[in-house]
Amino acid sequence: MTNFFDLLLSPFRYVVSWILMAFHELFTRIGLDPNSGWTWALSIIFLVLLIRTALIPVFVKQIKAQRAMQALQPDLRKLQAKYKGKKDQLSQQAMIAEQRQLFKKHKTNPLSSCLPMLVQMPFFFALFTVLNNASKASANNDGVGALSADHIRSFDASSIFGARLSDTFLNTLNSGSPSAAVIIVAVVMILAMTASQFITQKQIMSKNMTKEALEGPFMQQQKIMLYILPLVFGIGGINFPIGVLIYWTATNLWTLGQQFYVIRNNPTPGSEAERELNVRRAAKGLPPFGQKKVDEAAAEAVVEAPKTQRVQPQRKNRKKK
Amino acid sequence: MKKDSKPRTGLIWFLIDIPRNLIIGFLMVYRKIVSPIYGDVCRYFPSCSAYGLEAVTVHGVIKGIGLTIWRVLRCNPFSHGGIDYVPDGRRIWPEGKTPKIMVMNHPPIPADEDAADAARGA
Repeated sequence: MTNFFDLLLSPFRYVVSWILMAFHELFTRIGLDPNSGWTWALSIIFLVLLIRTALIPVFVKQIKAQRAMQALQPDLRKLQAKYKGKKDQLSQQAMIAEQRQLFKKHKTNPLSSCLPMLVQMPFFFALFTVLNNASKASANNDGVGALSADHIRSFDASSIFGARLSDTFLNTLNSGSPSAAVIIVAVVMILAMTASQFITQKQIMSKNMTKEALEGPFMQQQKIMLYILPLVFGIGGINFPIGVLIYWTATNLWTLGQQFYVIRNNPTPGSEAERELNVRRAAKGLPPFGQKKVDEAAAEAVVEAPKTQRVQPQRKNRKKK
Repeated sequence: MKKDSKPRTGLIWFLIDIPRNLIIGFLMVYRKIVSPIYGDVCRYFPSCSAYGLEAVTVHGVIKGIGLTIWRVLRCNPFSHGGIDYVPDGRRIWPEGKTPKIMVMNHPPIPADEDAADAARGA
């Protein structure tokens, strides 16, 4: 079974190690010390940036779908009215079914599907095996994937703040001569990635969900998970090499930033974030989010009623914005 | 599809169903623990994990897993989603022992009151 899993991962391992090698080569060429842990850490961070950048089209598509949701609002409200007060599981299931049908009918779907996450998983596992095997491969004078034996030796020996990138919290603790640097760096990273994960989740729940969703049946479970998940990651984190923690922290920070951007600029209709956005827009004299056309029509109606000349230029100004 | 004449019970079916039940157990745990972390992201109804659970329950491990992989691949940011039920299987269950997932995945959808609304509005 392990072998089968390994076989499945091997192409990903090759890709990941090749990218790491390429970035490492690039940073070495521009003058960074090839044996420094910082050069390797930077290579890992750029691997994250590359993967997440490749996923941007998916993310943009999602934002567009979220915008298109505005058009669906009347239908969605009708659906909510239809199932108002029907809290039993079967009714909820029927509502979800009807909602999915509605998205299909309008050819827009704000849900991300699990593919974006699924795509990242083999890369994460591959990186994990590459970094996790580095110590053993270094001892055997082997290469891993596209990384030569020299690369692996360099990586295995490299460190940031005195903590070796290939070391794990648990390993150093059980090694007889624990390295304080590894423990401190690992703990800081675990805290950073747990915090970013927690903030991302919390941000969505406190700002970007509708009142209906907040009262929905999944909410209680989600609330529990909000507190359990960081715990799980924290415990998992002590088993991961520092290099993997760098990867994970970087990807969590990217998610946090992306989430922040979406919530600020494309909030879910009916959420707290949308209300805040509209307050900001009102302060700038802009119509509520997604209601540009309606408001212009309303403004025109107001403008035309008094039929004075002074109002006319104001409307032109508005149009330019 | 032609249905079985009686439910699949007894020792032989119990043994044959061991792999199926292991996968069912795994999917149930996944749906209890991982799905809530993931949140409501599936573009289809039933969601991919609910589809997988029903598919393995109804069609067994090999066909069920095949159907599920095909569904997960179809559930991507470029598909439109919608309602997509698991195809019917041969299996039948004793009275009152229909698996919960079968019930949850096939909720009766109440008729729209749109027509009535329109009549009232007009």
